[in-house]
Amino acid sequence: MDEEDSAPTIETTVTASDQSAERPSTSSTGRTVIEARDLSVYYGQERALDEVSIPILDKQVTAMIGPSGCGKSTFLRSINRMNDLIDAAHIDGELYFEGENVYDDDIDPVALRRRIGMVFQHPNPFPKSIYDNVAYGLRVQDRTDNMDQRVETALKRAALWDEVKDQLDKSALDLSGGQQQRLCIARAIAVDPDVVLMDEPASALDPIATSKIEDLIEELAEEFTVVIVTHNMQQAARISDKTAVFLTGGELVEYGDTDQIFENPEHQRVEDYITGKFG
Amino acid sequence: MATESEDVDKLRRASGTRRRQLKGRLFEAALLGATLVGIVSLLVLFGYTAFDAFRPLTASAQWYLLYFGTLVTPTAAFTWYARRNPAVRAANAKAFAVVFGALAVSLLTYVVADSVSPYDVLLYLLFGTVPPLLVGLYARITDERTYSGPAIPVAAVLGLAVAALLYDVLRPLVGIAAQWVAYFGITTLPVAGILGVVVARRWSPRRGITAAAAVLVSTLLVAGGLLAAGIDPSFWVVLFSAFAVPVGYVVGSTVVTESDGRAGVLGPFVLVGGALAGAALERQLAIEGLESYLTPTLLLNSWDGLTASNAGVYPQIVGSVVVVGFMAVLAFPVGIGAAIYLEEYAPNSGWGGRLATLLEVNISNLAGVPSVVYGLLGLALFRNALGFGTGIVVSAAGTLGLLILPIVVVSAQEAVRSVPDSLRQASYGMGASRWQTLRNVVLPESVPGVLTGTILALARAIGETAPLVIIAVATTTYTPPSGLFSSATALPLQIFAASANAKPEFRHGVVPAAAVVLLVLMLLMNTTAIVVRNRYEREY
Repeated sequence: MDEEDSAPTIETTVTASDQSAERPSTSSTGRTVIEARDLSVYYGQERALDEVSIPILDKQVTAMIGPSGCGKSTFLRSINRMNDLIDAAHIDGELYFEGENVYDDDIDPVALRRRIGMVFQHPNPFPKSIYDNVAYGLRVQDRTDNMDQRVETALKRAALWDEVKDQLDKSALDLSGGQQQRLCIARAIAVDPDVVLMDEPASALDPIATSKIEDLIEELAEEFTVVIVTHNMQQAARISDKTAVFLTGGELVEYGDTDQIFENPEHQRVEDYITGKFG
Repeated sequence: MATESEDVDKLRRASGTRRRQLKGRLFEAALLGATLVGIVSLLVLFGYTAFDAFRPLTASAQWYLLYFGTLVTPTAAFTWYARRNPAVRAANAKAFAVVFGALAVSLLTYVVADSVSPYDVLLYLLFGTVPPLLVGLYARITDERTYSGPAIPVAAVLGLAVAALLYDVLRPLVGIAAQWVAYFGITTLPVAGILGVVVARRWSPRRGITAAAAVLVSTLLVAGGLLAAGIDPSFWVVLFSAFAVPVGYVVGSTVVTESDGRAGVLGPFVLVGGALAGAALERQLAIEGLESYLTPTLLLNSWDGLTASNAGVYPQIVGSVVVVGFMAVLAFPVGIGAAIYLEEYAPNSGWGGRLATLLEVNISNLAGVPSVVYGLLGLALFRNALGFGTGIVVSAAGTLGLLILPIVVVSAQEAVRSVPDSLRQASYGMGASRWQTLRNVVLPESVPGVLTGTILALARAIGETAPLVIIAVATTTYTPPSGLFSSATALPLQIFAASANAKPEFRHGVVPAAAVVLLVLMLLMNTTAIVVRNRYEREY
């Protein structure tokens, strides 16, 4: 196996402090930010992800679609090592972020998560004020300078500022579901991550809130690399540049440009899934 | 169609339906009966005790008429008025909370400091709070956060250790000051500091400093006036700064800021004023009042096993409060710490996981172990193994602490477990470490649940008698405890001992009266915990 030799060797370190220096100054579409190589994830004896190899490109929206239990969420959570929180989870293979294998022994998952933000399926704001929610990441990362400015910027980028600017000290739990989810997005991008992972971010929301989130994701892709898991194939077709189709058993069946996947997939199984014959 | 008409028929009541309904009603009635049996027997029990404690039949009809006029009618009328307007009701509740809360705090502070010696309290208070405050101040000025968090408790412990080591040198130094100055240091300084911070947060730092200075100066004026009049100002310094100041602040700020509900602050004053007016008129008109044993004598005297009218439980009350308070200091940090470890850190799988499960099961079992057994454990541990004396505060508090530890652990575990996992995930996803997640998300969310557990534990501990008997807490102690190693006595123990007294006026007068005192003490503790818990729950 020649995986070790062919691993990209960009000189970067995964730390929170120097991340602004590491970010490429020009938008280099096509540069690989994250790359999985034969990544398998097991929960106890059960294999949830089966030797997945996939590149994720800078400043693009990559959608993961597939039926329930196909491992797409597991893959997403293995990018920022959220699977570490599950005792029984066990990982094989490599996953490179900016040229570093994030499963190397000396990688600090906390520092990794500071550069890879995450938005979850159900809006999960903290039971704190709106301001404190957005400021949370900045506070835990000790970046408390210009806090008001950073909170305002994050809320503006999440298209929530106009709705909440007069009630920043109100409880985040008083917001509607869609507002809460945009608050969670604001919270994730407030710390200027390189990548934003989204785990079915609109599945618990009504159609209007969903369309707002979708517009937002397309805008975010100008500044961030976005990886989104979704059940909703139309959503993937609408907002993503690249699509990865997972089918049962944690197998990545096809990966490519979204247009191509939806119009002319290579595999019959993918076509069956997309056209609704299966899944 | 035939099938359709059959379906329609099924919707109508048939003979079977009635029987089913009857069964349902019977079941409901049985449940109601079970509820009533419990509540009614409790009410009978309390009524019996209260009847013996208050002896309502000894008072004349005039006495009832008098208090009905001065106390019951005005209070009821005011409550009825306050209920209709939410703003008034809120102001009323706030005023009640501050009046009775501040009264309890100031009396407790004075009583404990008086029995332990105000100089000791001042010494440990200074060395326990000034170093952490300085560390906190340093952290705020230099914006240093990495080490200041853990350094604050370390500074407090170090300060207390220094005070304990150099006690022989420092105590005479502190002792130079007059006694009222020590009380000034114990109560007025903290009250001024807290009020200053509260005012500074609410309005402006400048006003905060003014408020703190006003507290200090006005307390000094009160003390000076009393000194000039030849009265020892110790008690009045405590009462003024820990009762009058907070009541004045809350009532004053409510009157100024809440234009709708300001009338509500009168509530407690109507109640207290009514009681005082009743008492004054009772004396003036020489009306025959209640001849109960629930009198100031009972609260302020020490025990007298021969004359019921002279018997008091002051040392017992102070002993119970000091023992339970020290027990809380010992048991709550350990119990809550264990709960956090078991829930947040302990492994779920493998040998470690099995060990953790074993621990958890055993802790739940320990919560049901009879308290007599804990008494034996305390005797073995504190007297035989550690060589402490019997019947002293440390042994009693340690034994009760062991007794309630499982309750604290189990309920705190429950509280920590009830924090939704999605919040933990959100925090980890933001790049928070485990400690940061615990501190910023899990602990604040579980505070109400943890407090509920501590309420249960406190209530259980203050009423425990059997373990205290085993570790030989004496009923022949006639002074409140003067320190952690001095012998203490406890209220439930005295009730138990007095119930065997040969004279009926003890069995049917002093015992129920002391039982009421114990119940009130327990209710006070519970109320405090409930108020704190509700405040936390309301925040978001």
